[in-house]
Amino acid sequence: MTLKKPPRFAVLQLSGCAGCEVSLLNANEWIDQFDLAFMPLVTSAYDVPEVEVLLISGGVRSDEDLHNLRQAVKRTKKIVAVGTCAISGGVANLGNRDEVRRLFLSQTERHDLPRLLPKSQPVDTFVDVDLYLPGCPPTPELFMGALLGPEDFVASKTVCQECGRKKLKDMKPAHLTGSRGGEVDPDICLINQGYLCVGSSTRGGCRALCTRPGHPCVGCRGPSDILIEKDSQVWLESIQRIFAAMTDIPAEEIHEALLSPQLSLFLFQFSDYAGTGQAPRPKEKVL
Amino acid sequence: MTTLTFPLSRIEGHARVEIEVHEGEVISTRFQAMEKRGFNLMVQGAPAEQMPVIVPRICGVCSTAHHVASVKALEDAYGVQPPPLANQIRELLLLGQLIQNQATSLFVFTMPDRLGVESIFHITDEEADQTSQFNIAKRALMVRQLGTDLISLAGGQFIHPVKAVVGGVSSSIDQEKADAFRQRLKAALPLACELVDYYWEISLRMKDRIGTWGDDQPAYYISSTERDNPRYNSSIIRVMTPAGECCREFTANAFRKELTFEETDYSYAGRTSYQGGVIRANSLARANMTRSMGIRRADAYMRRLRREFGHPAHPILLFDLCRGIELVYAIELASQLLEVDFSHQEIDLHYTPRDGEGWGLVEAPRGPLIHHYVIEKGNIAFGEFIIPTVHNMLAIERALRVAAERYIHDDQVDLELEQAVGRVVRAFDPCIACATH
Repeated sequence: MTLKKPPRFAVLQLSGCAGCEVSLLNANEWIDQFDLAFMPLVTSAYDVPEVEVLLISGGVRSDEDLHNLRQAVKRTKKIVAVGTCAISGGVANLGNRDEVRRLFLSQTERHDLPRLLPKSQPVDTFVDVDLYLPGCPPTPELFMGALLGPEDFVASKTVCQECGRKKLKDMKPAHLTGSRGGEVDPDICLINQGYLCVGSSTRGGCRALCTRPGHPCVGCRGPSDILIEKDSQVWLESIQRIFAAMTDIPAEEIHEALLSPQLSLFLFQFSDYAGTGQAPRPKEKVL
Repeated sequence: MTTLTFPLSRIEGHARVEIEVHEGEVISTRFQAMEKRGFNLMVQGAPAEQMPVIVPRICGVCSTAHHVASVKALEDAYGVQPPPLANQIRELLLLGQLIQNQATSLFVFTMPDRLGVESIFHITDEEADQTSQFNIAKRALMVRQLGTDLISLAGGQFIHPVKAVVGGVSSSIDQEKADAFRQRLKAALPLACELVDYYWEISLRMKDRIGTWGDDQPAYYISSTERDNPRYNSSIIRVMTPAGECCREFTANAFRKELTFEETDYSYAGRTSYQGGVIRANSLARANMTRSMGIRRADAYMRRLRREFGHPAHPILLFDLCRGIELVYAIELASQLLEVDFSHQEIDLHYTPRDGEGWGLVEAPRGPLIHHYVIEKGNIAFGEFIIPTVHNMLAIERALRVAAERYIHDDQVDLELEQAVGRVVRAFDPCIACATH
């Protein structure tokens, strides 16, 4: 009897928080189905060997990240960019603001260490990506989906559809609640409760794991298929329309809140890519 | 002069060790953190109330500790005291973090050193142990998953949790889920103990092979857990002298006065010292600074530790054994804390945000973690993160020097040095993403 050899995969970690790797560790069904050839967080290997699939997490922040990325992609058949940092910058975009960047670079001159690049860049600025797996981090289930076959992964279009909270017609908040609303009602839509939740336009697949326990969606999975190939203005307007229909909150209040720095964590950076002028990612390539 | 460079894996983040040698004499040992993202600057201008969402992204391994520290810093600035049940849920979050972290460090990071394998996923049943007959990787990950599932239960999701909010928590824990999880913890406790026993045994075997538990000198110890029954949702930092006397207590807002921080030109992480002396944080510090664990199984391990190594104990590799004690402790304690009534109790208070300054402290798996924010017009004007790994930097480099001197001779370098470097660094379980943030 000949056993089929399990496919080999590797995980290259660039500059990030390792949350993607920790999530992958929780998707432990891969142990029986895949051969993990390289993942410095858990193996003693220093170079990426030949593999079928290469998962890349983190942004390209230093010259060493760039070198490692260019070396690693030569040795794989398929490249999967995992997590928001690798795909669209994520939290690193907060550091790409000009006023922060100048201060940062002026303070971080060191000897004999990887040199920091002017900005943190997504992976596909430098190499072609076969599959994007957005999320901060992607859930273990999404990781399994990416490894086993993204075409078979079943998910709703948006986080909103996966959330299941009741939307009420007659509960219209007049202002945003901020985060000081006290206890969150467990069953009612967070927008009805005045929270700036963007789950209505955010890509599904996470099973609404933030909104169900009561935290508004911050959009870490990026835009849904309907919006993904359009520019960020369309995404912004779609959120504004939802709030106009479901609340009495003044449009300016929503606009200001949506464009505040903390939402640049995730929002509006995927489609037009935080101003790099790259073409939008085709939705077929995004899980 | 020759420089020996050792890249490191099986730790959190990108780091390496450089040892400078001249004619058999060790000139310097450097632990270099190789990455930097600049969170202290990235948070500038962000709305203060969003910090609990932003700062967990400092580190996916330690995100829970940052989440809770951030909420506590805002509460300090706003003058809010969360209700008792919210504090209990936060303690459960931190215990989940501890289970996850200690299981990862023990089984994923350091067990391969003891078994001479590339990774826990490369342990064959023969290498593991003919008699034990179990798949170590799966069982270890099962125990680790107790931690991540506990974080999900108490925090909404296990990486970058969301449920701690200023004034409390956004939702309680469902009573049925709490009961079911308690049963799961109880059922898993013997399994965790078995793994810890096995870890202790292979550590003894390794010690016999290499002839040492890591013979560095005593150091100052720092922890924010209390004298009795460690709790991780902490409020006071304590320092212990190398001889074992508690010499200082201070609150988070005094850290600048009590500790000395400096940058180095060869690493993206800084380092701290206490009155010019080397400090150690993390599991061994807590074990040395607590009277007892206050729970049966964990105390049995603690007694064994003290019987075999005395009190306070100093060898480097005891950090790893102490992680095992804490793993058992966290599983036992979480199971106790889940017995409370989670319904019909206040979990969140209304509050009024205001400008000002706040400090938030928790005992993270690697030691005391402090977030310090200055808030102006509702936004962060200044933010800093005092990271436990940074307290251990001098201790790591000193321990590396001891190892280097042991294995570098006038005429040759013992090949064991590479293993020793890995063992020493992993004993401190440094987190580079946090240390450099």
